[in-house]
Amino acid sequence: MNPYVLSILLMGLGLGTTVTFASSHWLLAWMGLEMNTLAILPLMAQHHHPRAVEAATKYFLIQSAAAATILFASSTNAWLSGQWDIQHITHPLPTVMITIALSLKLGLAPLHAWLPEVVQGLDLTTGLVLSTWQKLAPFALLLQISPEIPLLITSLGLISMLAGGWGGLNHTQLRKVLAYSSVAHLGWMMVVMQFSTSLTALALLMYVIMTTSAFLTFKLLKSTDMNSLAMSWAKTPSVTALAPMMLLSLGGLPPLSGFLPKWLIIQELTKQELGLVATVAALSALLSLFFYLRVCYCLTFTSSPNNLAGVAPWRLESKQISLPLATSTSLSILLLPISPAILSLTLPLF
Amino acid sequence: MLMVLFPTVMLLPTIWLSPSTQLWTSALAYSVAIALISLSWLCFPMETGWSSVNTFIATDPLSTPLLVLTCWLLPLMILASQNHMAEEPINRQRTYISLLISLQIFLILAFGATEMIMFYIMFEATLIPTLIIITRWGNQTERLNAGVYFLFYTLAGSLPLLVALLLLQNSTGSLSFLTTQLFPPLQLHTEASKFWWAGCMLAFLVKMPLYGAHLWLPKAHVEAPIAGSMILAAVLLKLGGYGMMRIIIILDPLTKQLSYPFIILALWGVVMTGSICLRQTDLKSLIAYSSVSHMGLVAAGILIQTPWGFTGALILMIAHGLTSSALFCLANTNYERTHSRTMLLARGLQMVLPLLATWWFMFTLANLALPPLPNLMGELMIITSLFNWSNWTLLLTGAGTLITASYSLHMFLTTQRGPTTSPILAIEPTHTREHLLMTLHLLPLLLLIFKPTLIWGWAL
Repeated sequence: MNPYVLSILLMGLGLGTTVTFASSHWLLAWMGLEMNTLAILPLMAQHHHPRAVEAATKYFLIQSAAAATILFASSTNAWLSGQWDIQHITHPLPTVMITIALSLKLGLAPLHAWLPEVVQGLDLTTGLVLSTWQKLAPFALLLQISPEIPLLITSLGLISMLAGGWGGLNHTQLRKVLAYSSVAHLGWMMVVMQFSTSLTALALLMYVIMTTSAFLTFKLLKSTDMNSLAMSWAKTPSVTALAPMMLLSLGGLPPLSGFLPKWLIIQELTKQELGLVATVAALSALLSLFFYLRVCYCLTFTSSPNNLAGVAPWRLESKQISLPLATSTSLSILLLPISPAILSLTLPLF
Repeated sequence: MLMVLFPTVMLLPTIWLSPSTQLWTSALAYSVAIALISLSWLCFPMETGWSSVNTFIATDPLSTPLLVLTCWLLPLMILASQNHMAEEPINRQRTYISLLISLQIFLILAFGATEMIMFYIMFEATLIPTLIIITRWGNQTERLNAGVYFLFYTLAGSLPLLVALLLLQNSTGSLSFLTTQLFPPLQLHTEASKFWWAGCMLAFLVKMPLYGAHLWLPKAHVEAPIAGSMILAAVLLKLGGYGMMRIIIILDPLTKQLSYPFIILALWGVVMTGSICLRQTDLKSLIAYSSVSHMGLVAAGILIQTPWGFTGALILMIAHGLTSSALFCLANTNYERTHSRTMLLARGLQMVLPLLATWWFMFTLANLALPPLPNLMGELMIITSLFNWSNWTLLLTGAGTLITASYSLHMFLTTQRGPTTSPILAIEPTHTREHLLMTLHLLPLLLLIFKPTLIWGWAL
């Protein structure tokens, strides 16, 4: 893509999220969300492939519907309470509508059906942007509202965890697997939102780090399905050795960093007398762990016992900058021993 | 404690920076040094029982035997893996030894943990290196399924444990082993407390394994390479027993009502898995099921919560750890020569490998709990305390002892005595390395006859 066009689009993306972060008026927040949507659409369709165009179209329709609902709900709130302030939504009707609209924007179950198909149609870099950057602005709004409707929030969270877990089980396409993993992680973030917004922010931070590492790993290995992962041990032995750790961290296994948000969220839930919800949440993580484990199997655990000199693929030097991958993989594996420091990153946020 | 932990951590750079000709030698030498240092934990000077105390890790008479067993096992695993790893690329060899060392680190931290969440995290942390050892370096296709069963059975049991521990922290404020043993009894009268009790116990019962939840064990033990089988049989199962012994102290008096089905399952499992052993054709599978059988006895001993039960359980855990690991090493000597685990293919070995037959004999006798070995001491103490708890258990434990003797004898007679099949005549003689391995398994067992108080724990 023309670098000037690319820079304008990326600046638009950055500006949109920044505007939403900085806004206290609903219309300005809505404007930031729309800027994000519009800026990412050309990025999605940049390869002019029919599948990419389809993904861009689906994304546009979903996000516009959600943004329109946000506009409607904030107008309703203005009618009912006389002001447009983001943090002063007290009436339950606009609160519920905005929560549902933001869940549609994020891809929380039961409004998640668009996410796998859209991510599948994109190349890995745009998929990364969609899975990480585009989640920040809606979460900023959700965390500011802190909706106090326990039934809605908890059920959104639990259903997301279960839908993300069960939905990802039968896929071989890596982008769909990462989309369902996104849904499941969003469920974890939602379920604790009414009790501790800083834990939601922590879960979001850890999710962004781990997902960045996952997308960058698959980009380096130039593989989009599980079959093509099988020869990665010949291309990059070190990535092949570390990627299972990153994937198991996504699955939430101790002593990797992915365990930290799950541990703290379960602790918060038990403090709030929601032991059964905590147990269901913990066990639903096993569903997602199964498909992460399957990717690990394809990637590393079935690698050949010797170096097969005859059948190795061409080992061309990769042009990808390795620093982001190295940083995000190290962070996604090693952060658990410094948990208090990581928690303090998000504790003062709210 | 740090005297052992830091050298173990520093073994990792040692492995990666050693020249390839000295890799296995240096790994073995330094791990033997660490094992010998760990023996210093066996003196218990403190009144309260806890020694080598710092803020996060400490040792007491319950955890010390298991810690020493863990440290002792690392050189043995390295010895056992030398042969089958010799043809792999050098970095894969380094990775393999690093996995064994990282298992060691997590196990030392697990057994030494003073706080329950630390114990939990290290308990779970041992799963990852074991999973990698089983699925990457196992030898048959079934190893993938074995890894899945291993990971998911253990996790399904231990995630409720996390919830239960955090609930406990809310009500007691602290999860330190040092203080929870001194708390006033918890008020556990509601229905939800029964689920909480089950949440605390389930992880350890699956890990031990209890008979109903034991399906992961034969798969994992059989498909793992020799170091994986050794560490699984000798130490990882004992993590379950150790955790159960720690946590059952605070679960009283609810345990008196709720432990019945588990005691029955454990005892029935002794008989059932023993009978399954009699019908096995796969040698490693036989030893795996015999592990389930012995650990069923351990589980029953812990669940009745008597001093002799606890002591017997700990002694049987240590003795079984050494015996089972040795039997897996012996099965591996067969496997390395014939690349088959079928017992009938490697029959009559006494004619071909007579020196090895001595080791087979000694460890078979240890398996069936011959006096004066500590295996008998452990089994007898458990059986006696179970008899005291209820006279009828003698039917099951007595039958279990008889069946154990039968399958041990069957294993010995099938592999050693009888006609030798003709392909077997051409196998390699026993290596000195294998003799050393067997000696290092037997020597602690024999020495423990003379001072069993080292592994008695704090109950007696």
